[in-house]
Amino acid sequence: MTSTRAGANVRPPFWRDVRVLRVVGQILAIVAVFLLLRWLYGNLVTNSGRVGFDLDFGFLTQPTQFQIPNHDEFNPRSPVWQMVLVGVKNTLLASFFGVIVAAIVGVIVGIARLSQNWLAAKLATAYVEFFRNIPPLVIIVFFAFAVFLYGPLPNLRESIEIRAPGTDHNLLTLSLEQWGIPSIADNGALVWYALFVALGLVVSALVWRWRTRVNDETGAPHHRLLWSLGILLAILAVGFLVLGEPFRITWPTLSENRRRLVDGFAISAAFISVAGALGLYTASHVAEIVRGSILAVSRGQTEASNALALSNFQRYRFVVLPQALRIALPPLINQCLNLVKNTSLAAAVGYSEITVLTQASIGNGRPAVPSIVILMLVYLTLSLVISALLNVVNRRMTLVSR
Amino acid sequence: MTAVETAPVPIRPGFVTWVRQRLFPNVASGVVTVILTPILVYLGYRAVMFVAVNGRWEVVSRNLTLFMQGTFPRDEQWRIVVQILLLALALGVGASTAGAAAVDRAREAGLPVVKQPLSQVVRRFWPIGLFVLVLLYFASTLTPWLVVAGALAAFGLGNTARFLPSRLRNLGWLLMTLLIVAGFQVVSGTTGRSWVMSAMLVAVGVLVAFPLDGLAPRARLAARAGMALLAAAVVFGIYTLIPLEGIGWDQWSGLFLTLWVSALAIILSFPLGLLLALARRSSLPAIRVLATGYIELIRGVPLITLLFMGQYILPFTLPPGSNLSSISRAIAAMTLFTAAYVAEIVRGGLQSLPTGQNEAAQALGLSASKAMRLIILPQALRAVIPAMVGQFISIFKDSSLLYILAINEFLGVRSLVHAQADFRSIAHAETLVFVAFGYWAFSYSMSKESQRLERRLRVGL
Repeated sequence: MTSTRAGANVRPPFWRDVRVLRVVGQILAIVAVFLLLRWLYGNLVTNSGRVGFDLDFGFLTQPTQFQIPNHDEFNPRSPVWQMVLVGVKNTLLASFFGVIVAAIVGVIVGIARLSQNWLAAKLATAYVEFFRNIPPLVIIVFFAFAVFLYGPLPNLRESIEIRAPGTDHNLLTLSLEQWGIPSIADNGALVWYALFVALGLVVSALVWRWRTRVNDETGAPHHRLLWSLGILLAILAVGFLVLGEPFRITWPTLSENRRRLVDGFAISAAFISVAGALGLYTASHVAEIVRGSILAVSRGQTEASNALALSNFQRYRFVVLPQALRIALPPLINQCLNLVKNTSLAAAVGYSEITVLTQASIGNGRPAVPSIVILMLVYLTLSLVISALLNVVNRRMTLVSR
Repeated sequence: MTAVETAPVPIRPGFVTWVRQRLFPNVASGVVTVILTPILVYLGYRAVMFVAVNGRWEVVSRNLTLFMQGTFPRDEQWRIVVQILLLALALGVGASTAGAAAVDRAREAGLPVVKQPLSQVVRRFWPIGLFVLVLLYFASTLTPWLVVAGALAAFGLGNTARFLPSRLRNLGWLLMTLLIVAGFQVVSGTTGRSWVMSAMLVAVGVLVAFPLDGLAPRARLAARAGMALLAAAVVFGIYTLIPLEGIGWDQWSGLFLTLWVSALAIILSFPLGLLLALARRSSLPAIRVLATGYIELIRGVPLITLLFMGQYILPFTLPPGSNLSSISRAIAAMTLFTAAYVAEIVRGGLQSLPTGQNEAAQALGLSASKAMRLIILPQALRAVIPAMVGQFISIFKDSSLLYILAINEFLGVRSLVHAQADFRSIAHAETLVFVAFGYWAFSYSMSKESQRLERRLRVGL
């Protein structure tokens, strides 16, 4: 630069001034996005006038006009918002059981992959590489079509009935439409008994903490499990006696004409397809997380516990697993989230969760735009709740690790 | 290192030792072995019986064409054949160019060149090879054999690109781009607006092949622009001279559609995802918030809701009269969906770079955009290659969701197969196993490839 007059207090022209450019750039970006959205929305309004569809949420209070299978409390006259609630409930139900399957199978497979036993390790590897590499939808469709609908099971009228040993109650009925499992029926005081259950849980949790404290302070054996479980069972038994049989166990039984299941709890084939298939699929990811996080615990920890002469079990229980759990929890919660989102694949087999019901209700002439907005809001809410959980867990974990 | 020291030779244990160590090392493990063995034998027996004896596999062999290309017009099948040949040629050119470039680099660095044995290639891609063999086994005509033989020959022919002199190495890449574009257009035609996309791709290819680094800055810009325009003009000219009526996306189906949908979704979503990633790391709060909002919104909902949006809402958010086929809308939805995930992957790559890189670039006096283009992005993008392959696998598997929209991709073709009177309510397990095997072969090969790249590039996010 030849001219030294260009000092620090001479501002560049505004079109080269970073401070101005930054503000202008942001305003331009917002305006561009706003214009794009306005253009899309403008087209939507024009088209809604032209084709004739609604953009408001008034339809929520109108009758649904179709029946949800296996939901007797619901009828075609029930308003649409009730259908949304049924859908959300079913989404959560399938997610819950899917997560349980994924957790059990995933942990077993993940540990088996690290096993010394060649057979177990190879089998677990095969499981992971198989399930991880096919689309979950294919697994769901396989369950729904190849296992149930056109599979080896008989139809409901010829259900396979598996008796509880020594009785003539059905423990399990299997058919291609529904599976029946034992359930409990209200004798009039089930609500009160629920109070006892809640009380029992609270008391046993307190007992658990008390025993932990005793162990921490005195070093006496805590026997937490024994104490809590004992107290819980005692409270449950007392409640049962005080209320005088508040509930009874019902066994799955086929009606006289063998057209439907009475008593017990009927699980639909679509539910088993969705929860089971997603559980097995997610289990392959869970297994990889479990394996990875156990491997991620540094070798030094194992060597240190060997130096302390801990047994294999003690090493896992007190050294490796607590640390592996801290590594594994965030990705595991992510897998939960994926599973919840994947329940939307039930659309292929007609398990009445929120996506299927939304699609059905759009097919019944309900306005598509607000319906899909509601659908997305439901999933966003679920995602946010799970992410919030993840954040809480992360914070707790970092606190523990200091 | 002295000459006496040699690498320890691993001792292969004898069979009995191996059994004792790996199957019965202790009581618990022995019990597991004893329980698992009969279960495995039984499952293996059932699997072999299903594959070799009980399976009604004529459902696959009689509908092989349907699985591969679905409702694609049979008279136009030659287009797919030509496309396969062109793509095999492109693959050969690309593979040999990449290999030769690696050899060049090794020579420059004075490293020994290790030739990759064929067995390793087989080990990397055996699932896809097995899938092709299964297809050939089911083939009832000669065509599939001819196609496979032709594709192998084309691949071999493409491999001659390695004999290009090393300063013309970029020509190999350009040739590959041209072949891919040609392969795509053979099916989708050269009429209408299809030249726009091709012209853009070819222009980019030409610019990469001839960077014209020797020229002075001003002249370089003009020359590059001129070259790109020329390339675009040539493409336009060719397309006008050879007006080949195309087969639109709405007529594609089967495995053919599955492969193209996932390829298009990942290719189209990459630029968008890159922009989103940069925007999310921008220092301008408004841009950062917009990008973050988009990414988190998309990642919070399942793909199927976006596909529904594409089917039920997208047509009405466009001016009246615009007419998109349902496959185009699905590809649009998948692109918007994948872009959010690509953005997060790229962001991971950007964050994995030490800040020293950026500071060094600043110290060299590079402007922010030059630092990004020359220093940060090349390293960041290299680091995300394995994760991008993973995302491709994911979108490949997710493309099965088009089945829910009644689009007949690889999984959806089943509904056509089972609409036939002979297979109405039988052999569902067979078709599903076949479809699952197809998905598995591609995903498994790619996931192995992504793991290999991760080791090779020594990156791991």
